[in-house]
Amino acid sequence: MAITILAPAPAVQPYRAAEASDSDSDDGGADVHGDINMRPSKRARHDYADIVTPGEVVTDEDQWMRATVAGTVQKTNKLLSVRPLRARYTPEIGDLVVGRIIEVQSKKWRVDVGAPVLASLPLSAINLPGGILRKRTETDELQIRTSFSEGDLLIAEVQSLFQDGSASLHTRSLKYGKLRNGVFMSISGTGGGGGVVRARRQLWTIDTMNGGGKVDVILGVNGYIWINKHIEVAGGDTVITRMEESVSATVYSSQNDRLPNRARDSANRTKRYMIDF
Amino acid sequence: MPLDTSTYSLALLRLDGRRWNELRRLTAQISTQASADGSSFLSMGNTKVICTVTGPSEVKAAPGASGRGDEAVVSVEISVAGFSGVERKRRGKGDKRIYEMQTTIATAFQATLFTHLYPRSTITISLHILSLDGSLLATCLNASTLALIDAGVPMRDYICATTAGSTSSYSSNDEKADPLLDLNGSEELELPFLTVATCGTEDEVSVLVMETRVQVGRLEGMLAVGVDGCKQVRDILDVVVRARGKRILEGSQL
Repeated sequence: MAITILAPAPAVQPYRAAEASDSDSDDGGADVHGDINMRPSKRARHDYADIVTPGEVVTDEDQWMRATVAGTVQKTNKLLSVRPLRARYTPEIGDLVVGRIIEVQSKKWRVDVGAPVLASLPLSAINLPGGILRKRTETDELQIRTSFSEGDLLIAEVQSLFQDGSASLHTRSLKYGKLRNGVFMSISGTGGGGGVVRARRQLWTIDTMNGGGKVDVILGVNGYIWINKHIEVAGGDTVITRMEESVSATVYSSQNDRLPNRARDSANRTKRYMIDF
Repeated sequence: MPLDTSTYSLALLRLDGRRWNELRRLTAQISTQASADGSSFLSMGNTKVICTVTGPSEVKAAPGASGRGDEAVVSVEISVAGFSGVERKRRGKGDKRIYEMQTTIATAFQATLFTHLYPRSTITISLHILSLDGSLLATCLNASTLALIDAGVPMRDYICATTAGSTSSYSSNDEKADPLLDLNGSEELELPFLTVATCGTEDEVSVLVMETRVQVGRLEGMLAVGVDGCKQVRDILDVVVRARGKRILEGSQL
């Protein structure tokens, strides 16, 4: 484990509220000036005074409220919320996530998506090999490990949330499923998640140099990233169900294809760029 | 005798040159380990502690552990490096004092963190003591607070801790002698002292530990000095957190 300790910092001088501007000390960093001046802040205003720390009073107008995490105050009409500078991923419905199977149970898998509790992937929420119309049988339950087993990486979407905030995933699309032929990395960062924000598009295909071919980068909202060799989808013009049948034969294979060294290099290089970035 | 009480009463300066109500140099850094959910490095004088926080995350409950399903469980692991003291000493896992510190820290944060937001999960605080020179429990508590803030775990307020000791002895009959704030290793060896931690600015005591004997009349003064020191510590930690937040907002990660 890499430990980074920076050069000894000079002793910290206590923060003096008297020196800070009165706008900071009066209302605790958030600007609360009644109903008239409320403006929806679409983006975080990057200002020193905007940071609140645990215990700091966010507002004492009408109702008294204080921050519990260190972060920036966000205001949506009358709703105040503090966005933490850094926190674990909290799942939301529709998030595209990359996860790893931790546990196999009789009818579902438990998946690590970087959230406080493991997500679950029920057997009924995956595409079984052999087309969408296939019925689930007891044989499928017995052979649950042939689809996903412990340690497998997969890409999935959050289908619903349980009462305790844990997610239920599904892979009922050809875009989702098991991941192979690539490298995994994880980033953590700002915001209420892993530094990846939910976007319209989270799968990027990058052309690489030196004949490395195309590289796919899947950005999971939970901060897990998967980089693999781009695979052209064969027969894109066939009927959806037929295509599913042809693809499904290999979709749960755990065997990595033999990749040319250049493709491997380019995936690794992309990973290094991502780390630098 | 390391702490020459006779010169103390003359010059009112302690062995390291501090006055009675002065803290040692306190430095802190947040996010020292990128791979952890939250991490910090904190030194109070020559006591240095690295803290990493893992979680809240779901882990397999140990067999026999009374896992409460509706809130997160805080668990603390402390490891003392062999080179931390003056003499190289090997400390086993079964050290009772370390075990008691773990329980004290876990109980304090269990009450201050909003554990009900994370049912069925565990928050693991692991503390590595690199250098040992008094006020160990206080340093561990402060480092844990910073690491938990870095991990983004919601909490009621900062938990800040210091130690306070009493110089007055019954024989010399100097009832009015000032209590000392933030004791170092040699002072801890010969003076009665207590560790006090407060939560927030309103002098709400969350941890109070005393292992030595002291006359009950001196306790109040020690406590008052300790609580006042906690306030100073809170201000310093707050600056560290703000500076870190400012740098994140400016876009650089470190």
